[in-house]
Formats: sequence, C-alpha cells, structure tokens
Amino acid sequence: MSGTKLTPVITEYWDDAKPWSIDSYRSHGGYSTLKQSLETDPDDVIATIKDSGLRGRGGAGFPTGMKWSFVPQNDGKPHYLVVNADESEPGACKDIPIMLANPHALIEGVIMTCHAIRAHHAFIYIRGEVPHPIRRVHQAVAEARAAGFIGKNILGTGIDLDVVVHGGAGAYICGEETALLDSLEGLRGQPRLKPPFPAVAGLYASPTVVNNVETITSVPYIIRNGVEWYRGFGTEKSPGFKVWAVSGHVRRPGIYEAPLGITMRELLDYAGGIREGHELKFWLPGGSSVPMLTADHLDTPLTYEDMVEAGSMLGTGTPMVFDETTSVVKAITRWLEFYKHESCGKCTPCREGTYWITGTLEKFQGGFGQEKEVDELVELCNQIMGRSFCALGDAAATPYPGALKYFRSEFTDALTQPPDDLFSPSATMVIPSPAGVAG
Amino acid sequence: MSTTSHEATGSDTPTVKMITGTIDGTDVTVPEGTMIIRAAELMGVEVPRFCDHPLLDPVAACRACLVEVEGMPKPQPSCAVPLGDGMTVQTQLTSEVADTAQKGVMEFLLINHPLDCPVCDKGGECPLQNQAMSVGRPESRFTGQKREFPKPINVSSEILLDRERCVSCARCTRFAEQIAGDPFIALLERGAQQQVGTGEEPFDSYFSGNTIQICPVGALTSEEYRFRSRPFDLVSVPTTCEHCASGCSMRTDYRHENVMRRQSGDDPEVNEEWNCDKGRFAFPYLQLERLATPLVRENGQLRRASWPEALRIAADGLAAARGRTSVLTGGRLTMEDAYAYARFARVGLGTDDIDLRARAASDEETDFLSGEVAGSCGPVYRELESAPAVLLAALEPEEESPIIYLRLRKAARAGTKVFSLGPFASQGLEKMAGSLVECVPGDLATQLDQLDDETAAALSQPGAVILLGERAATEPGAFAAMSRLVQRTGAEWAWVPRRAGERGAIDAGCLPGLLPGGRPLTDETARQEIASLWGIDPDELPATAGRSLAATVAQIHADAKAASEAGEEEEFSPELAALLVAGVEPDDIPNADQFLTALDSVPFLVSLETRPSEVTARADVVLPVAVVTEKSGAFVTWEGRRRPFGTVMPQPTSFTDAVVLALLSDYMDLATPPREVDDLRTELGNLGAWQGSRVSPADVPAGSAQQPGSGEAVLASWRYLLDLGTMQEGEPHLAGTRKPAVVRISAATAAANGVEAGSRVRVSTDTGAITLPVELTEMAENVVWLPLNSPDSQVLVSLGALPGDTVRLERGDV
Amino acid sequence: MAELPPALSGFWVTFSTMFKKVNTEQYPEEKDKYPPEPRFHGRHQLNRHPDGLEKCIGCELCAWACPADAILVQGADNSTDQRFSPGERYGRVYQINYLRCIFCGLCIEACPTRALTMTHDYELADNSREKLIYEKEDLLGPLTQNMVSAPHEMVPGTTEKDYYEGKITEATPEQRAEVAARTDEESEAVR
Repeated sequence: MSGTKLTPVITEYWDDAKPWSIDSYRSHGGYSTLKQSLETDPDDVIATIKDSGLRGRGGAGFPTGMKWSFVPQNDGKPHYLVVNADESEPGACKDIPIMLANPHALIEGVIMTCHAIRAHHAFIYIRGEVPHPIRRVHQAVAEARAAGFIGKNILGTGIDLDVVVHGGAGAYICGEETALLDSLEGLRGQPRLKPPFPAVAGLYASPTVVNNVETITSVPYIIRNGVEWYRGFGTEKSPGFKVWAVSGHVRRPGIYEAPLGITMRELLDYAGGIREGHELKFWLPGGSSVPMLTADHLDTPLTYEDMVEAGSMLGTGTPMVFDETTSVVKAITRWLEFYKHESCGKCTPCREGTYWITGTLEKFQGGFGQEKEVDELVELCNQIMGRSFCALGDAAATPYPGALKYFRSEFTDALTQPPDDLFSPSATMVIPSPAGVAG
Repeated sequence: MSTTSHEATGSDTPTVKMITGTIDGTDVTVPEGTMIIRAAELMGVEVPRFCDHPLLDPVAACRACLVEVEGMPKPQPSCAVPLGDGMTVQTQLTSEVADTAQKGVMEFLLINHPLDCPVCDKGGECPLQNQAMSVGRPESRFTGQKREFPKPINVSSEILLDRERCVSCARCTRFAEQIAGDPFIALLERGAQQQVGTGEEPFDSYFSGNTIQICPVGALTSEEYRFRSRPFDLVSVPTTCEHCASGCSMRTDYRHENVMRRQSGDDPEVNEEWNCDKGRFAFPYLQLERLATPLVRENGQLRRASWPEALRIAADGLAAARGRTSVLTGGRLTMEDAYAYARFARVGLGTDDIDLRARAASDEETDFLSGEVAGSCGPVYRELESAPAVLLAALEPEEESPIIYLRLRKAARAGTKVFSLGPFASQGLEKMAGSLVECVPGDLATQLDQLDDETAAALSQPGAVILLGERAATEPGAFAAMSRLVQRTGAEWAWVPRRAGERGAIDAGCLPGLLPGGRPLTDETARQEIASLWGIDPDELPATAGRSLAATVAQIHADAKAASEAGEEEEFSPELAALLVAGVEPDDIPNADQFLTALDSVPFLVSLETRPSEVTARADVVLPVAVVTEKSGAFVTWEGRRRPFGTVMPQPTSFTDAVVLALLSDYMDLATPPREVDDLRTELGNLGAWQGSRVSPADVPAGSAQQPGSGEAVLASWRYLLDLGTMQEGEPHLAGTRKPAVVRISAATAAANGVEAGSRVRVSTDTGAITLPVELTEMAENVVWLPLNSPDSQVLVSLGALPGDTVRLERGDV
Repeated sequence: MAELPPALSGFWVTFSTMFKKVNTEQYPEEKDKYPPEPRFHGRHQLNRHPDGLEKCIGCELCAWACPADAILVQGADNSTDQRFSPGERYGRVYQINYLRCIFCGLCIEACPTRALTMTHDYELADNSREKLIYEKEDLLGPLTQNMVSAPHEMVPGTTEKDYYEGKITEATPEQRAEVAARTDEESEAVR
C-alpha cells in the first residue's frame, strides 16, 4: 500500500470471487466481533461512534454519533433504524456498488447501529430503479438471518432484530429523510414539517435514525478496529475514509477508497487523468447539487470544511469531471430538468422555480434566450435558495449561479447560438452514441 | 343539563403559559405555542399566507409567510414556527430578507396561475388576488408557457375543480382529512403537475362546500354559484342556519332579491368556521314557487283572496271553534313565532292543544321535554370538545346534527372517547374513532340501564356527556333510563332535536301542558305569571293539558266517526272543530295517511305556510307567511343557545307568523298581542326561566326490542343528512352528493333470509314495501336498517312503520 | 349722419345677417354632414368575434367600473348545447340604463376582452323609461357577412386562446350549418 493514498477498507476485498457472499465477508473478519459489540453497553457504542468523528455520508455530513444520541431513551416507544439507500443524485454512484459488493458490512452495521439506538426493527430503503442491489441485499439479509445474525436472540445476546428491505418507487425526493419515511409508511413521498425531527418522531411517529448506506457500512470497521485506527485516516474535522466514485471525462472512472482530505488532483491521477487529448473544464465534488469547481481547486483537500471554503460542498463525495468538450449550458439544463421532474410539488419555490428556470434554460439551449434572463435566473435561484421546504429546492438553485460564476460567456453566447453548435454533442460523449443520435 | 346557568365554564380552563417575543421591534405576549403568524396578527401585522389556516395543522408548503427570525440562517415560515420566549422576528415590514422572500414566492405562485380573474368566481374576494396586489410585482417577468389543464372537472356533482388555478396549498385536502374525516380528495402527481384529485369515489362529503370557502384561489367552485354573481354585487347578511338544531352561524349573500349563496360564518363557540353542505347549498327552495296571496276555499276550490277577506274568514272560523281548536306548529318556527303561537293558542283560541312535534313523539317525551328540557341550558360545544367521554343515544350526529359530529371528531382526535348506542357502527362513528354499544331499536332503555362497566366508568369521569337524540321518542322508557344513567354516572346530558325550531318552540311553550319558559300549565304560580304577562285572568287559561298531535289526529277521526254515526239530521258538535297548522311536513308524521284524512275531515283548517303543500291543499284558509330570509328571529340550538338572526331581504308584503297571528287576534276582536320580533323576544326574555317545581317525568318501564319471527326483522332507520327533505328542493347538484339508499343487514341475517351479497332486499309491511340493494354490515342480528327518507326509501310513507317495529324481509326481485 | 329711425335700424341688422355664414346645423335632415368627433362617446356596442360568437364573458367588470351604476350583467355557463362565447362563461343578461349612463367610458377601459366599445350613435331619446334600458340584443353589434349568430360551437379544433389571438377570421361551414339547422328548427316550432 505504500506510495498510494488509497485506503481500501470497505472496498478491500471487492476483487474476491464472490465478495458479496457471507462466507467472503466472514473470511475477512466480518461478523467476528459482532457478539462482543452486542454485549457492550449501547451508550458505549454511541460514544465510540461519537469519538470516531464519523460524519454522515449522504451529503449533509451531520455527525453520526450525535444523531444517534438524539434518540430519546426509555420513552416506551419502539425505535427504528432506516438506511437511506435511495441513491438517486445525478453523478452519485457509491451506495449501489457498496450494496452490490459488500452488503454484509452494511448489515453488520445495521445490527450494531440498532443495538446502539435500541431498535428492534431496521428498514433498508433502496432506490426502486436498481433491482440488482435490492436482490442482493435481500439475499444478504436472508444469509445473515440463516447465520443467526438477524432474528430473535441474536448470538444468544437476547437481542432481537428484524431487517426489512424495501424498494422505492422511483422518486428522488424519497432520498430526503422525512419523505423517505412517508414513502416507507405507504404515503406519498413528500418531506415532512420539522420539527419534530425523525430522531423524536420519525417512522410511525416513533424515534427513528435515518443514515446513509456508506455511513452504516463504516460502523462495523470502526467498532472492530477502534477509534484510534479510524482517526488515523483523514483530517481532524473530517476523519476517516470515504468511497470516492469518480465519473465523467476521466480515463478510468470508478470507485476509489481514500481518506478524507485527499485532493482532486490525486484522485484524478488514480482515475488515469482526463481522457486523452482533453483538459479539465470543471468538476463537482459530490453530485449535481453542489456548486462546480475548476482546475484552480484541484489541490483543495476534499474535506467537508475545505469544500465549503472553496465555495462548494463535499456532498456525496462522488466527483464528476467534465472536460472542455462539455457545454455548461447543456449540463446545467440537464440537471435542472432533472430537478423539475423530481420536485415533489409541495412547496412553491421549488415547484414553480424549477419549472420557470428549466423553461428559460431550455430557451438558452435552443439559442434564443434574452440577455436580461442571464441575470434574472440568478435572482430566481436566490428566490428558491433557503426558502424551499427541503433541500431539493436548494439543490436545484445551486448549479446555475455556480456555473455563471466561471462560465458566464457560455450563457451569453447561448443567447444567439445554440450550445450544440459550439460544443459538438458527439465529442463530449464518453461512450460514442449510435450514429445519428445527438447528445 | 341543568336549569341553572354555567358559572364555571371559564374557570376550569388550564392555566396557559405566556411568553413574550418581539415582532418588528414590538414586544408581544402570547400563549406558548402560538405561531408567529398568529402573534403578528394580534399586533395588526398581516403576513401573507395561503396554506395557513388557523383550524388546520400547519404544513408550511406555500412559503408565502416567510419571515426573518434572529439566529436562524434562513427565513422561516411564520405559520409553522411558534413564537419563542425572547425570540426576535422581523416581518416584511422591517426585514428586507422577509420582504424579498415573500415577493419571490408570490411571483412564483403567479407563473402557473391562469390569471382568468374576470371569469373566476373568486375574483374580487380572492386572497391570491389581494396578496398579489399587496406583495406581488407590478409586472410579470415570466414569459414562458403556463402549465395547462382542461378546465373544471367535477370532483363531485356539486364541487368543481379548476386545476390551473390551484396553488397546491392543500387546505382542501387537509380539511377533508383532518376536519371532515372524508379524505376523498388528495394531491396527486408531482412538481408543477401536482394537482388535487379524487380516487375512484367522488368527493361526496357532507362538508365538501367548506373547501370552496377556504380555497385561497378559485380552484374550487360550486355548480350552484358558478358564474351567477360577483362578490361586489352581493349584499351579505349574517344569518343562522334553519336546517338543523346545530345552529350554525352563516352568511347569506343575495343579489336582486335572490339568494346567490350561503357561506359558513365564523363562530368559535358553535360551528367554528365550518358548516355542512345542506346549510350551504340547500337554499334554492326559498325561491321556488311561493304562496303569493291568501287563499280561501269557495265551492270546494281554493281561490285567491285579499288579506282582509281571508283574515275575516279565518278569524270567524277560529272564533267559532274557540276551545275546540288544535294548533300544530311544526319544528321550523323561530323562537319568537313559536311564542306567538303559544300565546295565540291559549289566549286567542282558548286551547292547550298545541304540539310542535310533527314527527314520531310520545307522552313520555312530552313530560321529559316539559320537565327537563324547556328553558334549561346544558353542555355546550366547547364542553363536548373537552369531555373525556361522550355517549350518543338514538343520535347519529353526522346525519342528524353535523356540527356536533365535527366537534366530536375534533374532540376524538384529541382523545375524547365516543360511544354510540346503535344497531351498527356507522361511518360517522368510525370517523370519530368511536365504540359501538350494540343496541337494537326498541331496546335503548334496557341498554342504557345495562350499560357495561367500562362505558359507565368512562361516563363517570368529570365532564362526560350523554347526548340523547330525538329518535328516543320511539324508545319506550328511554328518558327515564337516561335519567337513571345520569344519576349513576353524574354525566352531563343534552337532548338533541333535528329541526332548528324545536328547541325554541319548547322554550316558548308549544307543548300541551307547557307554558312559556318551562312553566307547567297546572302550577298556580306559573299560571298567574303567564296570565299577568298576557293581560288575562288566570282562569281564562286552559285548565288541563291539551292534546298532542297524535291525540289531535285521533280526536278528529273519533269526531268523524261519531258524526257519521249521528246521521244527517242531528246537530253534531265535534270535540275538535278547527285546526291551525303552521309549517308541518305530513311525510314526517307516522301514519301520514291518517293525518291527511284528519286534515280532510276537520271542519275548519287554517294553514300558515310559505309554499303550497299537502296541508295548504286541504285548508279552508291559507295565509302566506315569510320565509327565513324575509324575517328576523332566533333559533335555539340543542344546547339551549339562542341564535338570533336579522332579516336578509325585507319584503313589505310578507308577514311573519307572529304578525299574521296578531292580525287574526285583531279580527277576532281580541287585544293585539306583540307582533314585532323585538317585542316578542323582550317579553319572552323578561319572563325568564321557571324556577318552581316541574312536571316529574313518569317512571316508564324500560322497553325491550321486539322479537322478530322467521323472515322478519326489527326495523332500524334514520335520515341521511341529504335526503328528500322539502328544504333541499331545487338544488340537483347537492342531491347528486346524497348517499345511495341501501338496506343494511348482517351476513347471518342475510343468509337466514336467502339474501346474498350484491342482491336486492325487499323490506315490507302490510302497508307497502321497499326494495333496495343490500349492503352486508357488521351489525345486530335480525335487524334491518334503511334510510328513512331517501329516494326509493321513504320508510314512513312506504312501510308505515317506525324504527323498532317488525318488518318482513326477503330477497328482492332482481 | 342722421340717425335712422329705430324700425329701420332693426331691419338693418336682419338684412346684414343675410350675408353672414350660416351656423345652424340642419339636424336631423343633414346630420351626415356633421359626424361626431372620432373619439366621441356614444351608445355602447357589444362586439362579436369574427365568427359571430360574443366577446362578452359576463365578468361584470364594466358594471363594477361604472360610476353611475348603469350596467347590469349576469354571467352564465356556456353549456355543451348552447355556446355564446368562447371559453366557459358568457354574459346571459346585459343591460345598460341610458337614463343613468354618463358616457364616461370607464366600462370600456375595464372590459378585459374588448367586448364593450362605444359607437358614435348619440340618438338616445325615447318616450319611456323602459325603452331606455337597453338589453343585450339591443347592444350586440351587427352580424356581418362572415358571422352567424350565437349560440353555436367554436370553430372546430380551436381554443379560447386562438380567438383572442385573432386566429379566427370567419364562420366555418360547420358553424353555418349548425345555425341554419337551429333556425330551421325554431321556425318549424313557431309554425
């Protein structure tokens, strides 16, 4: 491992023959300390996670241990753990590979977490459009149940736990934790009014912890190897390792596990650099919902706080890389079309704002925008930002102002000329499209 | 129920913690938990809002009410954030952030709104219009294509939905779910395509009209009011609903002497901001064919007559029958008109034969109403809301007193336990999360006596309430049994009539043996009080209690029989020589045929009516009187609360019943009684409630249900809220939301009688039969339920049977 | 110069006037010679769309704007078998009381569909009050060759919007046939 900054932990044995099988996981130490951890006091488990400094990997980066500690104890209500596996962010592809290749680490994490928060029921809510991981996690749960890790009286510790794998129905909004809970309850997926927060009144109005797949998957490794080991990775404020899913115009897009604090330049190197004959134009640290960055920011450490300082956010930690063949106008329009389509409709700014902005951007894409609309769109984004019901509106209001900051000329060019004329759709394609189909 | 007024209604409210925050630099002290938007209202600061409604749970969806809260990074929805102690809030008046946020939301709201205000029924009274004026941009920046939907769709036969206009505030859907308990409408689709829609069923809720009123745009409109008027044409008058004893505060809007619409008033003590669709939409009857002039019978035919002529004939006829006249007032009179009848009967006609009940009644009920109900005041709506438990006996609030239902549902959501004695758990009971105590009609008294310990214990908690419906009159011993239950549990109780005028008429003394203010006719002091009030000698008052409606009908038939036996040449003097009938609905009376033949055979019949009816058709003199919009007066709610209302449209040519009775007194050369509403009200008010001893109800033994034989069942029945009532005529769209008439029997009863699910059932008596589709229901065995007065199911008319009677049951011809 | 006798001096005025320009307008014989000014506010007219459908949507904004309370409008729903205007709503009752009207023209400004305009007709005298309350049929503009009288269907395949964008230019044969059939029926019924 010397000479590389990569630290495969979650991804360590993904080149095994069947890394997803329980045997493979156990052969690498999986479930070995489960009984021991179930016998420790739940509060100690929470303390361990708190001390480790693990932060949520779903995008917001909320300290996980603190989230768990909000769950009221001895309130006589059932507690629930819900794993948010509704990974639908454009550009984000880390939870799905984890569930495909290492589902048992997730399940062990679920068991440990449930023990910590005193839950006897866990739900894994998986994005409905991806049947593979749903099948694989189902299988893994069945294996774990057969092995006695799930069910009544786990490993003789007297702890009961049931794990339910639930497939969503295809809505980005259900990645928002309260909308996910509504969806899980069989209602229409729309975010709930907070407070009360899920930790107090979540699923079926009971205390609920909602965590991202990667967060929960990190838990067994921390418990097994200790706080010191975990804090050995990353930085003081953003400790630990992270599964980076690099995509876009790079030679070797894929999953790279490395500590927080690694730079984009290093990740780009691991990914083989920008594709042959091209140069970096812009990149996004974590999905389409964070502001874009340029080559100037390649040496900024990828941590929660440094990214904010650079004017972006770490988000899901799944960098998207674009080279000079990309039309920013078109990229932004695609994302806004996505947000318009996925806006749940509950609040006005998001529902109407995405409708309006997308309409204007589509005009730009056609090459017939009006000059005043370039700045008007920023105003519209500001009218959404911070005023919508949930983070979806904020996410939708993010890409355009960020893009305008660095690529204003592309938008003014689009007033008279369709971006397709300036940026060949075929040149930007990573996989050549069939003849005649334009990007 | 007690005869003394409540002194403790205010004092037992729990102490509220008050907190002080700062809004726009001014300190404001409000109860803890008060939302910022409400606190701002108290200071006179109006924050724009669409989704916010004080009676609905906050949703914070429209984002129009964003304000700046110190210490919060983003502007906060003031409708969903409670004011905290020491919190500093800045609204649009002092905060740039709040102001731009609100303006931004308003601009967004308008981009997909069609701006078809000129054709929109809400135009002119539209919160979106008003707030667009106050916080919107003068010109739109949006140049794109608006989202379009096909113009209005019917979510029910009465309610129209224009989805283009909808701003997705979810007030209607939240109302349907949280208040009415009829979540037949919901938001569908997502993003800009989000829309209100129905599932398989239409939005046939009894309270659907409220959604129109709370819609902050013109997305929901009614077929009845559609395009008929504009707000600035309308003259609005606060009124009281005449449809039931709930006593809703209402607003009647008229134009050119036509009522255009009625809306719910805002009375937190009674109907809050809601009313039922019957109260809202059932007013076209007011404008259907009216009696324009007096009519007199000449050569067997009614002909038009002048007022002096008609009054002369009526006065002469009534004077000739002095002491031998019976007065039937019906349950629709205002308290003041009822009082005029009570007085005219005793003074003008020298009779105590007066009965307000044009329905199934009993002597036991007469005693109960005279002894316990008249002049009393019992638990009020607010006490229903705070009651730990409520027992419903012979009462189906959703159908018979809808505002009680809404209050009880609100209470049930907060923890009140509702119990109902009935043959099955109705939809209304289920929506109140109530528990059924199974009770076969006829068995009510027994069930009240044998109430299980759990229910009795619940009713023994302080503040528990028993509500006894008007249908208890057909349950032998029910009133005495309720008194026993009240003694056993200490619960409060109230009697709930169906018609708006019944309670007022009882207080006014429209019952045999009962003088105004709950005074017994037989009590010397009471007689003297009344006699001095009326300026007569106590001896001129009738000496003994008179006849009820049933007794009156029986007497007329007896007279007729005696007359035919007496033969032609003998001079025969009937016991009852005349009838004075006000708004009586023959179809509501058991044995309507007998009633109508009595009307035919009574020697002299005077009818005071608004519209031609079966009574006016048989009358010797018909005197037209004012409808509710043409007069003022008061109805009295089931609580005993007076609900005065003013004249909507004064008509110089239409007279109240009281005025007509005063004119009759003049023509009969009697002292003119008070005729103006204010005078009548003052006189009745000065009289006050009776403090002396009352009629003690007879201890009637508890009845028990009949035992039906093979192929028979006990009849259970009550009215749907929307049925064939004559006051719902003229509004077909409302009729379209009626519940379908079905026969309900249990699966076992069905099997025993060869009835299968999906087939039809024939319910019959010697009088006739009703055949309806069956709905197998979890209910008592050998009981059959069908609606009392719905299309194809007019129980009183077709079967001639009352609830509790035995009827035959068989599979109907398919 | 010696003073003329008073009688003659009077005739002198008469005589001299004979040679001055005549100011008298010969109304009504020569009224065409003196048309009103172009922006003269005369009697109102309710306009039609080019196919004969009415422009009035019964919104009552004219009535609201009227400072003299001279206008009465009652809207109604266009039903499937009786369509008077494109869209949902039409003016069922439309009355202007010319005893009240002050010809200020605020109604014209309020009209959102340009249904109400003013003509140059100023001959508004009559011998009873009733006759001076003009009904909708008195106010409706004349039918031109291209129009057929409402009620009839909209031009097939068009929307309300097309009418306002001026895409409809004349009544289609379908509309003509519909109106002809209706008129036949009516005359049949009269017979």
